[in-house]
Amino acid sequence: MWCCCCGQFLQRQKVLGLYRDLLRNIRKIPQESDRRYLRDWAREEFKRNKSETDQDVVRMMVTQAQNHLEDLRKSLALAGC
Amino acid sequence: MASRALAHCMRSVARASARLNHGNMLTRSACAPLASNQRALSAVSRGQRTRWTDLVRISGPSVHLCRRYGDLPPLTLENIQDRVMYVLKLYDKISPDKLQTSSHFMKDLGLDSLDQVEIIMAMEDEFGFEIPDAEAEKLMTPEEIVKYIADKKDVYE
Repeated sequence: MWCCCCGQFLQRQKVLGLYRDLLRNIRKIPQESDRRYLRDWAREEFKRNKSETDQDVVRMMVTQAQNHLEDLRKSLALAGC
Repeated sequence: MASRALAHCMRSVARASARLNHGNMLTRSACAPLASNQRALSAVSRGQRTRWTDLVRISGPSVHLCRRYGDLPPLTLENIQDRVMYVLKLYDKISPDKLQTSSHFMKDLGLDSLDQVEIIMAMEDEFGFEIPDAEAEKLMTPEEIVKYIADKKDVYE
């Protein structure tokens, strides 16, 4: 994956933490079919971009993922899950 | 007309349930120490209401009515290992024939860190407790997972 120089290592930890948070929130979704769809989507997104080396692109994708996570959290809170 | 028929049905249902309730009360008292059991049963057999005893047939001291509580079987190291290996075999990216307790996820099984996150999440689902991020990323072989879970669940052998 990413090579282990300091900034990129922290980046890697952040990405993995994001992935984990995303999966944890996807777990709370009531419908099994929706859960499966989102899990596959998340996996696909992260895997597709995992070999990206441009730091700016990586930062942008991390921000996108954080936004997705926030949207998911808000939707779950509204739905009362 | 219909309402009268309905009322009649309700009454007969209430009667039947009252009969059953009475029977249940007796079966409950049958759980009490056997000495009083015998007397209660003899009283019943002598008793006037013989109809509901056809519904509830108690056959003396061989009755062991007890409450059963649903719970998971107690955890043992072997049990934990079996469950961990089972979950791993179900994971689509792992080929079951290559899997051993000492196989490293990244070095032996060719998985990446995203897969490892998924695996640890699956373990959380299986065992029903959350594994914090800092400790989760260190678990790289099935053996380590088993050891960690045994440690967290206080399973000693």
